[in-house]
Parts: sequence; C-alpha cells; structure tokens
Amino acid sequence: MIRIATINATLTIFAAASLTNVFPSIDPAQTYSFAGSNSLAAQIRQGAPADIFASANTSIPQQLYADGLVEKPVVFTRNALILIVPRSNPAHIHSVYDLRRSGIKLVVAAPGVPVGDYTRVVLHNLGLDDALQNVVSNESDVREVLAKVALGEADAGFVYTTDARTVKGRVATIGIRWSAQPIVQYAIAVVSASPNKAVARAWVKRLLRKPAQAKLLEAGFLRIK
Amino acid sequence: MRRAAAAVVVFLATFVALGFLAVPVLAIFTRVSPGRLVAQLGNPVVTDALAVSAKTTLAAQALVLAFGTPAAWMLASRRFRGRSLLVTLVELPLVLPPAVAGLGLLAAFGRTGLLHTSFPFTQTAVVLAVAFVASPLYVRAAIAAFEGVDENVVAASRTLGAGPVRTFFRVVLPLAAGGLGAGGALAFARGLGEFGATIMFAGSLRGVTQTLPLAVYAEFDVNFDVALAVSALLVLISAALLVTLKWLPSASTSRFRFATSS
Repeated sequence: MIRIATINATLTIFAAASLTNVFPSIDPAQTYSFAGSNSLAAQIRQGAPADIFASANTSIPQQLYADGLVEKPVVFTRNALILIVPRSNPAHIHSVYDLRRSGIKLVVAAPGVPVGDYTRVVLHNLGLDDALQNVVSNESDVREVLAKVALGEADAGFVYTTDARTVKGRVATIGIRWSAQPIVQYAIAVVSASPNKAVARAWVKRLLRKPAQAKLLEAGFLRIK
Repeated sequence: MRRAAAAVVVFLATFVALGFLAVPVLAIFTRVSPGRLVAQLGNPVVTDALAVSAKTTLAAQALVLAFGTPAAWMLASRRFRGRSLLVTLVELPLVLPPAVAGLGLLAAFGRTGLLHTSFPFTQTAVVLAVAFVASPLYVRAAIAAFEGVDENVVAASRTLGAGPVRTFFRVVLPLAAGGLGAGGALAFARGLGEFGATIMFAGSLRGVTQTLPLAVYAEFDVNFDVALAVSALLVLISAALLVTLKWLPSASTSRFRFATSS
C-alpha cells in the first residue's frame, strides 16, 4: 500500500541565493532551492512544486501575489550592498569611484535579478552610471558574482554585505555610503499551489520570531524597520 | 500469440521512445504562435546572440579543423605506446559535464589559473569553451575516417611518386572527406549548443559573450517568448545541420556512418 507522505512533510523552500547559508542554519530540516529570485519566480509560474518563496526584494513576490500564485508576502529581513574585490586586488580598486576607470572587469548580476537591479540603483545614486560600461558579465544570481570575484577572475563586483562575509579572506570589501543604498527588503510568501500550506504558514511565522531573526542578524542581515 | 505480444511490446517501446524525444522539441513550437515567434527573432537580444554565436562557433570550428585534422591523422596512421591513452584523452571532453569543463578552463586559462591568461569574459573564452567541448566529436570521426582509408591506395600513391603531403591532400583527404564532413557538422552543432562551460568561463554579456543558448537562459525569467523564439531557432538550425549531414552525398563513402534517412 502506498502511503501519502503528508505527515511530517519537509517543506520545499525556494529562496534567494543570498539566503544560501543562513536558511539552512535556521532550519536544516527543510529542502531548499537557492537561485536568483527572478529565476525562482519563473519556475513557480511554470508550476514548480515549491511551498514557500523567499525573494531578495518585495516586487517579485508582490507580482506573484497579484497573479494569485502566492499568498500575501511579508517582509522578514533587510540587507545592504557592498563592493567586493579579490584579496589580491589586481585592478587596485580602493573606492567605488575607481570603477569609472576603463579596462576594469566589473561583474554584476543581470537586470531583473534583485541584486542586479539594486546594483544599478547604487551606481546611479553615486553618479556612476558610466561604470556599467566596464561590466564584463551579467550573472544570474549574487553567488555567481561572488564566485567570480572570489576566484580572482573579476576585478570587482556588487554583492550583499552578507555574501561577502561567507568568503572572508578571499575578498576585500569597499563600503557604500548609506545615502546611496537602495532599500533592500526580503519578502516571503506561501505558494498558493502548495499542498502543505498550514505547515508552510507556520514556518514563515517562525521565521519572523526572535530565534530565527537572531540568526539572520548574526549572518549580517539587518533588522526589519 | 507470444510473437504478437512481443511485436506489441516493441511497437509500444518505440512509440514511447520516439514520443519522449519528439514531444519536448515540438512543444517549443506550440507555446507561441509562429507569428510571434518570428516577431521575436527581430528582438535585439536575439540578433546580438545570433551574431555572437555565429562568430564564435565559426572561429571555434576553424580551430577544431585546423588542429583536429592533423591530430586525428597522426592518431589514425601511427601505432605507438600510449596511443589509446591519447585517444581516450581526446574523447574525454565528450563525456565530461560542461560545468567541469568550464571549471577546468578557468583553472587552466583563468587569470589566477595555470597559464595566467586574461581570456575569461572575452569572446576568445567563448571560442575556447566551444572548441573544447566540440572538438572530440570531430576528432573521433576524423580518426575513424582516416582509418577507413585503404592503406593500399595510399601506398600506391607513394609508389607512383607522390610525396606524403601530396598524397595526404590528393588521396587521403578526398577519401576521408565524408567522415570528416560528418564529424565537422556534428562538432559544429554541439558547439552551437554549448552552454555550461561558456557561462562559467566566459560569463554572459549581450553582444560579447552571450551566445544563443545563454540568451535562452537569460531570457527564461525575463521574457519567456524571447527564450522560446531563440530555442525554436536553435532547433531549426540543429535540425538543418542533421538533415544536411544525411544528404551529404560523400557521407556514405566513408566508414563513419549515420543511419540513412531513407
């Protein structure tokens, strides 16, 4: 006889690539799929069997909510952007304004990927739109940007401050002034087509409580305003 | 009775196998109307990717032919210790996961790699990635084609006074042409579809390193119609290559054959 595994079902959680380290540390028992939030949203639109969707912005889950694909999203954490360079700093970049120099290999995430959109906002706020001419690759998520800089192949890249902390020792960081930072809010929602909605809602609730929030802060994420 | 049952099983298995292979390919064309598909082909993302793909795949193909042909001739005509090891080495990229190929290319040609080149993120990187994954298909076919050339004919040419170079170009090459063409076409088709090694080694930048398969990936979550249009284009090009291969008259003169279409 086949038993349908609804009891103690592990949740399938689709989460932004920047949550790769922190989510399993909050709850190692679930099944995670990490990628660019936009890729995950596209997969959910194509019917991927996710129970929960955690995005690195609020607009993508809001759009899915408007289309009836997820329940009402809630903001659960915040983040900020940072410029990273390889430890050896081959292009001698010491300030964001050095990104204007020609010949620099700047790696960013593609437009549509949350961190890619934030990166463009930061550059615009700093009056550095022309630095985009130095982009040598548009990556599909923040961890690809991180890997290419940590590997020393790219001269610089924009990631979240939390990502830079995961490769300590391999990259050097250059801060971005607060006035130029975009609002980086992460929203989470239960997927409408999930067969485990009650369990999923409880999981989201737990994420908003103190122990989980403490883990997020410990990983460098910012308190919800 | 038993024979009839066996026939039914074979028929069903064939039906499932062919359906399994054909449905995903055909499904691409059912998701979007032909009119919209054609309209998307004018999208700058598509035309840029097409230009990058054409340029890099042709450059890689030139490299594969220029270096692969002498290598295949050497491996086919000489018997020496370690030959089978070399042949295995040549074939390895064929079965290697593309991500592993990409990592290997970075480890070799990356700025921090063995050879310290500045290839990553350039079109050269795309060409190298394509050549790396596609060349085994050509070299394998070329070795088989050269081995299929009758040694007596080669010997006769030499006895009649033709030098080794003249013999190679006037006798061996024409006799092996069918197999070489078939291998070249397969390598070209594989190169055109190259994805994993490219995205790891060359990155993805529109108009520079974003080939057609990379455009499918990039557009998947931005503009699904564009992704479908590019996919349809790739299906058509690949199909055209295979059809040309089967109609190539000389393809049947070599020992290296594909199933004939008739």
